[in-house]
Amino acid sequence: MSKIGIPRTLAYFIYFPFWKTFFEALGQEVVVSPPTTREIMDIGVREAVNDACIPIKLYHGHVAYLADKVDYIFCPRLVSVRKHGDFGTETFCPKFLGLPDMVRLALNNLPEIIDERVDLKKGKDELLKVCARVGETLGQSGTEIKRAFKQAMKVDGRFKQLLYQNYTPVEAMAMIFDQQEHIPPPRQETDLKIAVVGYPYAIYDAYINAGILKLLQKEKVRVYTQDMLSDKTMNRQARTLPKSMFWYFSNRAVYGALHFMQEKGIDGIIHITAFACGPDSIVDRLLEIESRRRNHIPYLAIAVDEHTGEAGIRTRVEAFLDMLRFRRDKA
Amino acid sequence: MIKGYLGVDVGSVSTNLVVIDEGERLLAEQYLRTNGKPIQTVQEGLYAIGQELPAGVQIAGAGATGSARYLISLIIGADIVKNEITAHAIASSAMTEDVKTIIEIGGQDSKIIILRDGVVIDFAMNTVCAAGTGSFLDQQASRLCIPIEEFGDYALKAKNPVRIAGRCAVFAESDMIHKQQLGYNTEDIIAGLCEALVRNYMNNVGKGKEILAPVMFQGGVAANHGLVQAFNKYLELDVIVPRHHGVMGAIGAAILARETSRKKGGTGFKGFNIKEINFKTSSFECKGCSNACEVVQFYENNELLARWGDRCGKWEINAV
Repeated sequence: MSKIGIPRTLAYFIYFPFWKTFFEALGQEVVVSPPTTREIMDIGVREAVNDACIPIKLYHGHVAYLADKVDYIFCPRLVSVRKHGDFGTETFCPKFLGLPDMVRLALNNLPEIIDERVDLKKGKDELLKVCARVGETLGQSGTEIKRAFKQAMKVDGRFKQLLYQNYTPVEAMAMIFDQQEHIPPPRQETDLKIAVVGYPYAIYDAYINAGILKLLQKEKVRVYTQDMLSDKTMNRQARTLPKSMFWYFSNRAVYGALHFMQEKGIDGIIHITAFACGPDSIVDRLLEIESRRRNHIPYLAIAVDEHTGEAGIRTRVEAFLDMLRFRRDKA
Repeated sequence: MIKGYLGVDVGSVSTNLVVIDEGERLLAEQYLRTNGKPIQTVQEGLYAIGQELPAGVQIAGAGATGSARYLISLIIGADIVKNEITAHAIASSAMTEDVKTIIEIGGQDSKIIILRDGVVIDFAMNTVCAAGTGSFLDQQASRLCIPIEEFGDYALKAKNPVRIAGRCAVFAESDMIHKQQLGYNTEDIIAGLCEALVRNYMNNVGKGKEILAPVMFQGGVAANHGLVQAFNKYLELDVIVPRHHGVMGAIGAAILARETSRKKGGTGFKGFNIKEINFKTSSFECKGCSNACEVVQFYENNELLARWGDRCGKWEINAV
């Protein structure tokens, strides 16, 4: 039995249930790094190339945490994962494409890295093929791999169902893996409804965004994110733009935001953007323009980086909520 | 007896206190430098404004705003704690009913607030850059050995403002030195700096905002005539600098305090004479996990009143 390390950041928030189930079904042990801490961030900032964006630096920190605790680091080369809709020229952002190489070059004393290329637009059975290659690395037989794959697909399906019921990935994972069946459905007293869009690793990492989801919850805000929308709903929005972006996570943030801009009852949109993220310089501007064009829905952009103080985020969020409440009360 | 409402705005550079009456008339104001000692400055400011108040005024409500608002609310016993964006918007709409745009430039931050029909519909604050703020001007003024109070008047004397790169405070300085070495006169360089700051503000904070008149220009930096002129030139309209432009945040906090104390029918205000009370903060690094949060403890006469700064909340007491 080997120990497989999965860093708790970047695509973790979308693929962890699948891969955890897959590895465990093969009899391997999965070790996941803890939620981001100051120490993890400091190591990442120190070790990663200087001009990388903050999420990539964080990833380095998580890998460094796992390095001496596992036999393998699971760091797939994510190229594309969409199975439906118009693929166009969409891939992951270039930093995801080069992630295994970047990590290898930046960090010393790493265990073996599982860096299978995940390019699902190539064909229908591509994910199974990826799993087969990963399984072979670990010395598993074809039958074992097929069985583990089926189990992983099943759990992934349940994960998506929970997301579509408006649970965040973090809540959904807790329900699947920690048997926390009774997480109260996010339906307590609601004063405002806000869509929080952006990259999963910025929205759900409470360290990097200074706990914005908790802050909103305290203010009786019901939060919706793009990850609670089905591919079908997303694709509908893609058709309302003259052109899509090149990057998977960016497109999800954009389509999600556009959907919520037209959704009845949504009071405002908050876009969490990562400082020094290239694609976000376009995403943010696009959303700002579209929010004005579509219903003039209130829009707030919050940039996070390694210096982000809670005070700065809190001031902006409080002012935004004040604005929404004043607007509502005047109407 | 006249009912008065206290507003305290503690920012990175200045600490402002005001007392207004029921009709939003200013009864007293104090504008002090924070000098990195928010607690002491507020204690002194409170005492001073208490002395300045006409006899027979009784404080019926108190509000705190600014970046130190939570800390200060504990000291003064504030009835309401409000972020500075809302506080500025409230004050401006009370002064000029149909204000549509507010430009506010303070020591370390700058903001733009867009209002329509008396309601805030959009706002923005500077992010990781201080190039468009008061600190930038402060620094350049001291480099040129000109008191900041006279800085703006130099700009008014300029005939041909020099073009200076305002994108970054550091590079603006190198650019300015270069222009000095080429022999441009000080007035033209200062006017150039004012224009650079306005360009930076408009491209950074004001980017994509629909700026309509009336435009209010407030915050400590609005005292600078050179900047007022630069904004007028850039926007091709006349910005309005309210009489109490330096204390608008505090006025907003006072107005909000009036609403809140009316609703709750009383005030928690601790009085002006808190100079004798010994407020103290101490901090320690929590060793509970690798976040190593710095936890702040707040004492009033050695009694622990509040504790905050931890991400997980296990130390939190009375955190606001």
